[in-house]
Amino acid sequence: MRALTIAATGMSAQQLRVETISNNLANMSTTGYNARRAEFADLHYQQVSRAGAISSADGSVLPTGVQVGLGVRPSAITVQLEQGSLSNTGGDLDVAIEGKGYLEVTLPSGQSAYSRDGGLKRSADGLIVTSDGYSVVPEITIPVDARSISINGDGEVYAYFADTPDAELLGQFTLASFSNAKGLEAIGGNLFVETEASGAPVISTPGEDGLGTLRQGYLEDSSVDAVREVTELIEAQRGYEMNAKVITAADQMMAATAQVR
Amino acid sequence: MDNAGYTTLTRQSGLKREMTVLANNIANAATTGYRAGGITFSEFIKSAPGTESISMATANVQTTSMEQGALKRTGGTFDFAVEGAGFFMVQTPDGDRLTRAGAFTPNENGDLVNMDGHLVLDGGGAPIFIPPDATGVDVASDGTFSVDGLPIGQIGLYKPLNPLDLKRETGVLFDAPDGVEPVEEGRVLQGFLENSNVNPILQMSRMIHVQRAYEMGQTFLENEHSRIRDAVKTFVK
Repeated sequence: MRALTIAATGMSAQQLRVETISNNLANMSTTGYNARRAEFADLHYQQVSRAGAISSADGSVLPTGVQVGLGVRPSAITVQLEQGSLSNTGGDLDVAIEGKGYLEVTLPSGQSAYSRDGGLKRSADGLIVTSDGYSVVPEITIPVDARSISINGDGEVYAYFADTPDAELLGQFTLASFSNAKGLEAIGGNLFVETEASGAPVISTPGEDGLGTLRQGYLEDSSVDAVREVTELIEAQRGYEMNAKVITAADQMMAATAQVR
Repeated sequence: MDNAGYTTLTRQSGLKREMTVLANNIANAATTGYRAGGITFSEFIKSAPGTESISMATANVQTTSMEQGALKRTGGTFDFAVEGAGFFMVQTPDGDRLTRAGAFTPNENGDLVNMDGHLVLDGGGAPIFIPPDATGVDVASDGTFSVDGLPIGQIGLYKPLNPLDLKRETGVLFDAPDGVEPVEEGRVLQGFLENSNVNPILQMSRMIHVQRAYEMGQTFLENEHSRIRDAVKTFVK
């Protein structure tokens, strides 16, 4: 009875959907988080009778044939790249990216990772780092005696000192973009790493090549739409129940078969 | 001798096949662009010389529902739904295939691909290139792509020359061995995906029907079995 295994693929698909939704809802307040969506595709088809097979001696052929599908498979979990809304935090090292670029950070292993989480901090020696303490590329150090810092839309970081009215340019942030940003691999901690599917990063200054600009004092909210997620959750739950029902029906049919003697 | 048993057997195996098709439809109730399948029974008459002919039921006609599925708003730049007739065309290693699943994305080279990495083709059968530095990609309802206000191509919509001769393939793809032709009147919606067109209520009620019909067949077989057994007993005595 293939119906049993087919319904089982349906149940695991709906379960994956619920898991994706629960991860989205759990990250409703994660800075710079983009909702994920599970995508499904049908599994292979078994040819029972081939279309075009000769059905009689005069050469007439079967117009459609019979193909029996064998269930469903997850084809992708895609990131829905969307600009989240910006919320005002007032932090002088909070930068939101308005556009599709990513900040580049250096992992302890020396590898580059990319992030849209602009909640930056300063380390003990004044270096601009992420919340996890990874340094942002290019490295910018804020002098200890800086009175305040300002970051403009192009990513230029200026420091103001008590004794001079003129600001000092400390450095400029860069942003990275990818041909296929959905192909980036999420490694947790709001970080992504480059993959073969994403393509190589294109590094450029904010405001150029459509990468977007920086906004100081703001953070990008999670783009999870709670209403949409909950609607999907209801759908997924009902889908799961229906597949379970198919298993019951297939089981009862098998029981009816077993009773005949 | 046991013609009643064999006739019921063809019916039972057809019902089991239909159950498989229903289970596949329900399993794919959340598959973007999936088209519900169905099975039709046809009569197969065997004329036995000297006696009356026997008619068997075989489930060997397959149908594919081409009803429009509900459109779901996703807001994704590269999510497309076809409203009305027409399919997108993707290039697979086995040849060009039709699909209604419009969840696409640019790949590492900037060419538009589907979730299995197959290239999406334009009206002329060429891949669609999205410049990596594009800020706004807009798609008009006729499928014209424009980047920052400049048209860069048009997504192709096709339909099979022979709609009956569609072969299903994994990945919500259809193979049209008799060829395809471009569709002029199709409408493409950006930011939407087409849901599976499986109607759960219809499938579930059909499933109950199939299950009960199958049980009836089994009861019939059982009665037939005891009838023959009783007959044999009577003759042996």
